[in-house]
Amino acid sequence: MRNLAEKWAVVPDWQTAAIEVPGLAIRSLAGLSQYLVSGDLDAWSKVSGAPAKGVGAFGKAEGERYAAQVARDRMLVVSAAPLGIEPGWHEEGFGVTVVSAGLQAFEAEGSETAELIARATTLDPSAGSASAALSFAGANAVVYRHGDKLRIHVDRGLATYLWTWMETAARNIAAAAKG
Amino acid sequence: MQLFTCPFCGPRDETEFHFGGEAGNLRPDGADVTADRWASYLYMRDNPKGATREIWVHMNCGEFFVMERDTVNHKVETSIALDSAEHA
Ligand SMILES: [Zn+2]
Repeated sequence: MRNLAEKWAVVPDWQTAAIEVPGLAIRSLAGLSQYLVSGDLDAWSKVSGAPAKGVGAFGKAEGERYAAQVARDRMLVVSAAPLGIEPGWHEEGFGVTVVSAGLQAFEAEGSETAELIARATTLDPSAGSASAALSFAGANAVVYRHGDKLRIHVDRGLATYLWTWMETAARNIAAAAKG
Repeated sequence: MQLFTCPFCGPRDETEFHFGGEAGNLRPDGADVTADRWASYLYMRDNPKGATREIWVHMNCGEFFVMERDTVNHKVETSIALDSAEHA
């Protein structure tokens, strides 16, 4: 039988994987608890005490627990520690889906981060957009700022692709900077 | 590249959107729908030259909406969320 495994790029060891060129450092974030909250977000806000709106594209999230808007009626809640919230439907009018294992999160920092954004998307990072869901290097991703860093969440199945794309982009950014 | 406007997200690259068919082409309902009516629903398109109303979806956020645009000069007139659009 043909060994189809050879056709695929090897999944990086996310614990140690790093992309580093002058002005740009990217690494994988481990251990984030991630939840999709869908439905009546005002009801979610009442129950959880968290804001009913998440940050949009390139919006600025802060702290250990925050949310990024994904759609009109859905947001990705991200937390450093697991939230004590039951997955499934809540009678108040919203559903909670645990996606911690479903999405891989990356963090980029440095002066060339804007260059990475420019190569990954046509969206103007200063223009703002209600949802943080956007096409990043062709993959549907959730993209926002956390402090002065850029965070990117992508379907785990696309993580290796996005990583190899970012490796290539980082090399090109470094080469362009050298002139 | 062209920008389309998602009623929720605002202007985005056209590649983030997918065409969903002509607006107003509603699925017939009931057992006594004629073959002609089914054929019209399934196969007959107006394909107008000029102003048109279409259903599009912004794939990143999942928003379905009505877009009014011109098939000749590609100018987009409006994007309206489906829940506020009349007779989608
Ligand atoms: Zn949208």
